[in-house]
Amino acid sequence: MKRRDFLKTSVVAGAALSIDFKGLQAALSTNTMAVEQAPEMVAVMGGEPEVMLDKALETLGGIGKYIKKGQKVVIKPNIGWDRTPELAGNTNPQLIKALVKKCLDAGAEKVTVFDHTCDNWQKCYESSGIAAAVKEAGGIIMPGNDEKYFKEVSIPNGVKVKSAKIHEALIEADAWINVPILKNHGGAKLSCAMKNYMGIVWDRRFFHQNDLQQCIADICTWQKKPVLNIVDAYRMMHQNGPQGKSAADVATLKSMIVSPNIIAIDTAALALFNQVKKLDMEAVGHIGKGEELKLGTTDLKKVNIKRIKI
Amino acid sequence: MKRPNYLKGLRVLLAVLFFVPILLFFLDFTNKMPMDIHKLLHVQLLPAILGGMFGIVAVLLLLTLFFGRIYCSVICPAGVFQDMINRLFCIGKKKKKGIRRFKYHKPLNWVRYVLLAATAITAALGFSGLCLLLDPYSNFGRIAANLFRPSVMWGNNILADWLMKMDNYSLFHVTISTVSMAGLVAGIVALVVFAVMVIFRGRLFCNSLCPVGALLSLVSRYSFFRISFDKEACTHCGNCEHTCKAEAIDAKKLTVDTSRCVDCFNCVSSCSKGGLQYRFNPPFRKEEKKIAEAAMNMEAEPQPAVNSRRTFLATGATVAATLPIVSAIAEGVEQAKGNGHGNGHGKRKGRKKWPPVTPPGSLSLERFKDKCTGCHICVVKCPSQVLRPAGLEYGFDYLLKPRMAYLSSYCNYECTICSEVCPAGAIMPITVEEKKSLQVGIATFFINRCIVKTEGTDCGACSEHCPTQAVHMVPYEGTLTIPQVNPDLCVGCGGCESICPVRPMRAIIVKSNVVHQTIVLPEEEEVKNVEVDDFGF
Repeated sequence: MKRRDFLKTSVVAGAALSIDFKGLQAALSTNTMAVEQAPEMVAVMGGEPEVMLDKALETLGGIGKYIKKGQKVVIKPNIGWDRTPELAGNTNPQLIKALVKKCLDAGAEKVTVFDHTCDNWQKCYESSGIAAAVKEAGGIIMPGNDEKYFKEVSIPNGVKVKSAKIHEALIEADAWINVPILKNHGGAKLSCAMKNYMGIVWDRRFFHQNDLQQCIADICTWQKKPVLNIVDAYRMMHQNGPQGKSAADVATLKSMIVSPNIIAIDTAALALFNQVKKLDMEAVGHIGKGEELKLGTTDLKKVNIKRIKI
Repeated sequence: MKRPNYLKGLRVLLAVLFFVPILLFFLDFTNKMPMDIHKLLHVQLLPAILGGMFGIVAVLLLLTLFFGRIYCSVICPAGVFQDMINRLFCIGKKKKKGIRRFKYHKPLNWVRYVLLAATAITAALGFSGLCLLLDPYSNFGRIAANLFRPSVMWGNNILADWLMKMDNYSLFHVTISTVSMAGLVAGIVALVVFAVMVIFRGRLFCNSLCPVGALLSLVSRYSFFRISFDKEACTHCGNCEHTCKAEAIDAKKLTVDTSRCVDCFNCVSSCSKGGLQYRFNPPFRKEEKKIAEAAMNMEAEPQPAVNSRRTFLATGATVAATLPIVSAIAEGVEQAKGNGHGNGHGKRKGRKKWPPVTPPGSLSLERFKDKCTGCHICVVKCPSQVLRPAGLEYGFDYLLKPRMAYLSSYCNYECTICSEVCPAGAIMPITVEEKKSLQVGIATFFINRCIVKTEGTDCGACSEHCPTQAVHMVPYEGTLTIPQVNPDLCVGCGGCESICPVRPMRAIIVKSNVVHQTIVLPEEEEVKNVEVDDFGF
């Protein structure tokens, strides 16, 4: 009898030992978070892009909160320049690959990736590593090189931009994710989530002709907002942007900021940028103009931010 | 009964092997074809002469000396193209109206040798207009680049739109932007000239207008292998004469004018009796025969070879007499050029007209004008579509030559494709490293037109597109920044000009370097390790 008891006990003890204690902790932490309510912004530092993306989405409540089954999803990175990932001219391809996979895993019907590039689009798609990343992940990489792909939509809340031709993939999409890379920018001063909108429109000349900062804010008022903005600051171009000349323009920050609030995320990104190069909020006119158009807040104290260091 | 004719089969096979890759190379707008195909362009005779590739020229001349004008039926894409027009024309026609519609004509020696001499002399004097207008390869290039290519792209767009509806983006929509009015007209004219001449007179182009044909004819008349009659086998049916595209066979006199024969071997296969043969029959052997023949045949007329030699000499004399006129024209051109860059004012229009920006590797405007035959291979191969054929806006001596048109695109900082493909060496081969320090022009900034000044708003599009940051933003009023140009860093790629939003006159324009300069590349900045371990917010 005693022996049987002993065996029973040891089996139970063994089973108890094999319980994943981390899981318990995670369960506990999510519990507390549910009490705290999910943050509006997550900033992660210190990991590889995929790892940081995992962490951030998990903290926000999972990709399923933003991408539903059967949806047509568009991911809009910055692929503006014929530059390799090390030079930080374009969004990190590892991040795009992981994100495409996540969307497909969440049940997206299809995931399309495009940008209206500045340099020759084929060279940009190739050098950036994004075309290959998207294909590997099972997404569709679509050209944005021809006016043909762009359809006129109205921007009723714009001050200068009243209508614009926007890429048809976005017009047809059920949800889209804005995935800029954080950069210095000669014209707009800072290139981040709001500036990344310029890659969804055809006629950028109009923007430059009619108060660039106002036009950037205007286009962000387009009714179909991204479900998430994911700022890639794994590598950050702090000078000579947006194209960059060499590796000397790049700082490796290994960071990422995720939020649905576009004004708050650009404000936070600017603060991150300021640790490397000084740049006044006033100079980045489009953020303030966006706040005036009620796109979000620049007061980060009002935003529930979760900061994670890996 | 037709005898099997391996010679014609071989000729057709070789022609296909040369023609198809060249044609596809011109048509390929996806840039997926191997770049090595451009080597087939380097064996084109006239570009090779202009490019000073004397090895290739010597080989081609020797080839002609041994085997006759096989070049015209195999290597020259315009020759093969004419054969194709001929073939298409014959479809569905009876032999007499189709393949056997030709008859012997006397050679147009005056025309061809005057044109040859005029082309050679003007080219030597630095005026390549006749080379450009008459070179068969370049004419074919202009047809392919300005007519066929847009048609293929147009077809692609229809197909791409259709595939796009099914979420297939293996094909994509392409913009046809490199076809200029001048290019289109040149393509149509060349196509019509080829078609009309082929339909009515076979290879008349090659034996009247074409300077390459004329040059080769001077050699081929002495070729070792040639087509000649087997007088015993011949039944005088005349089939060979009627199939000869070059109209070089006189079936009555049983002569074949080897100076015009392009070695197509159609005559050999048209003769069921084996009355025509391609064999080793060098002229020195023939001379002996000729003497014997002449003795036998009292009515013998002057031999065509003698005849044309005389014409050639006469032509030479005439051309020599017209030399002063030509040099006067050339001088006039020179003067016009002088006016062009002297003070930057074209007198006729009374407003600024800067000379065209020529592609990196062309070294100077003058050199480029002398060498370029306007085949448009660089135009079609430029991935940025920045090279556009000029019309008459830069004068007759720049007609159809490509210029860097920074209208909506610019020269990629790390691309050297045009320099690789140019068969005439008008754009010399350069490496990416060499290119980065080549300055084809300098960005010139007009502050009074700039948005930042006129509107008081941010712009910076020019600086954004500058790969060297020669155009950089400096503080202006308030938080505004305005562009500034550092000429020592500028390569003249046109990134700034192409994107400047100001109209009608842009605020930043690349002024060409009539002679290309080199810049000293700035030392690479040291990579500083930036340590950031907090978010900053």
